[in-house]
Amino acid sequence: MTIPTFILKNALRNKRRATLSILSVAVSLFLLVTLLVALREITLPAEDVGAALRVAVRNKISIANLLPARQLAAIERIPGIAAVTPFTWYGGKYKNEEGMTFAQFAMDPKKLRPVFGETKMSEAGYEAFEKEKDAAVIGRISAEKYKLKVGDKITLESTVYPCTMEFKIVGIYSGTPDDRNMLFRHDYLDESSGVEGMVGMWWLRVSSAEEMPGVIDAINKKFANTSAEVRAETERAFQLGFISMWGNIKLLVTLVCSAVVFTLLLVTASTMSMAIRERFRELAILKAIGFRRRELFAFILAESFGLAMAGALIGVGGAYVLFTYGDVAKLTNGLFPSFEVTSKIVGIGTLVAAMLGIIASIMPSLAVAKMSVTDGLKTLD
Amino acid sequence: MKSNGNIVTIRNLSKIYQQGEINVTALDNISLDIAAGEFLTLMGPSGSGKSTLLHIIAGIDRPTSGECHVQGIDVAQLNESQLADWRNQNVGFVFQTFNLIPVLTAYENVELPLLLTRLNRSERRKQVETALDLVGLADRMKHLPKQLSGGQEQRVAIARALVTDPALVVADEPTGNLDSHSAQEVLKVLQLLARDAGKTVIMVTHDPKAAAFGSRSIHLEKGELSN
Ligand SMILES: Nc1ncnc2c1ncn2[C@@H]1O[C@H](COP(=O)(O)OP(=O)(O)O)[C@@H](O)[C@H]1O
Ligand SMILES: [Mg+2]
Repeated sequence: MTIPTFILKNALRNKRRATLSILSVAVSLFLLVTLLVALREITLPAEDVGAALRVAVRNKISIANLLPARQLAAIERIPGIAAVTPFTWYGGKYKNEEGMTFAQFAMDPKKLRPVFGETKMSEAGYEAFEKEKDAAVIGRISAEKYKLKVGDKITLESTVYPCTMEFKIVGIYSGTPDDRNMLFRHDYLDESSGVEGMVGMWWLRVSSAEEMPGVIDAINKKFANTSAEVRAETERAFQLGFISMWGNIKLLVTLVCSAVVFTLLLVTASTMSMAIRERFRELAILKAIGFRRRELFAFILAESFGLAMAGALIGVGGAYVLFTYGDVAKLTNGLFPSFEVTSKIVGIGTLVAAMLGIIASIMPSLAVAKMSVTDGLKTLD
Repeated sequence: MKSNGNIVTIRNLSKIYQQGEINVTALDNISLDIAAGEFLTLMGPSGSGKSTLLHIIAGIDRPTSGECHVQGIDVAQLNESQLADWRNQNVGFVFQTFNLIPVLTAYENVELPLLLTRLNRSERRKQVETALDLVGLADRMKHLPKQLSGGQEQRVAIARALVTDPALVVADEPTGNLDSHSAQEVLKVLQLLARDAGKTVIMVTHDPKAAAFGSRSIHLEKGELSN
């Protein structure tokens, strides 16, 4: 037998308790890592150039209020803007399906490439989209789900406009963070619905990142004090706007993280205290035999540290494996197109576990230090 | 202080416990010599200070006044960590409850004190086997405490006490939890240690039959030596 074997045998003497405490550390650390990754993802500035240069312009009152189409000319005159397209939600229902899994938007077909440059589609698709009035393009995910291919016809009844429209799929695109939407021509919508001169919102691309603040400012000012005031913001801010409907997400996540860590500390500390308290007598014997305080500390620390680290291995490691090799985009319905467990987050998780292991060993160590051999011997088993 | 063949020399030893306002005198001005190789039994009614005296001799408790020299060393002068080393090398402990580590085998329990020494694995093995052999449990090395009888457990504890080859073995009511047959086995082993292995054995007991195994018996009464 060696000292490490001795420590291991001690740590595993109550297998159920060891398993439960390792699992509770693991689950909490998994949660912590998940929250940290989520927090990072939602506060991360958009990385792809397309999104970084994109601006969303919506009605200042709410996203549900439409904007007059005549704003287009005014927006186009603002310097620094490369392309603008209207973007109007159609709210169509497919085959009377209740929970629609894809949305349809009407837009300017010529602006698909200039504004949404990351979209990948066949050349024929782009051409047909510009040429044919009833043309529609649909994202790869939805196309696969509904077994739609180029040439198929699809009829959608709008829940917003008083019309039912028939579309011809001319292209299937991919390459966007969430390849689900169906896009069709705005002029076709105007014609079919009879509602002319209104759009849902504007999407535009600025020519360079430096122009971004100026452009946003100019648009917001341009329509101030008109009947349709707008709110222009970056794509990231626009997406975040949806999320912040639930309140200050960052604060919330931080609070939950702190609660997780604190609970974890209580669990580990009480497990260790229990494990040591029931061995008080044995520890007194070890002292009598000649083990010193620092050796007993080392035993307790090693056991506590080992428990916490085993939990970290399962919890942090499990989160890493799951999020790195699992499809989080699918799991979260595209809310998180990417969900990266960075090495920094792995580091934080492991560090929390390490601190936990150390802190949890303090109380029992102090108790053992105070214990005299004779007092320890009097403790009942 | 000269040892004159005495392994333990005690002079004017007192131990007073403070319990709030009240002082409890556990040992009252004790003087005692214990010769090397003796099997001394310490008798007396419950609360008479037997354990306290044993603990002070063995270096796990400190006297309030007076001196206790073991092998010429004033144990009370050592600091905690020196004392731990000293106990590891010079004293073997046997307690009333057997106090084996439940998750370790008989072999591993006996090996425990040797983990503090510089001995390598095979040297440790030799000593553990010798000790277990001496207590007649060479064939029970792989057994866990719960797979042993009370008497066997206590003999493993004795093997653990003597594995470091200490000069002094102290036993506090080692047969208190045993039936008379098991008690006999344990007492014979302790007797053997003193007679054939040259150890000094000090045993606390209140059983006169157990005391009969010793070579000398002293009595404590309210913290004082009688007769
Ligand atoms: N830690 C302690 N605090 C206070 N009193 C104690 C303590 N330990 C022992 N005593 C008292 O000292 C006396 C002797 O105790 P002890 O040596 O255990 O007796 P014995 O072993 O002969 O039964 C008893 O009166 C006991 O109550
Ligand atoms: Mg006693």
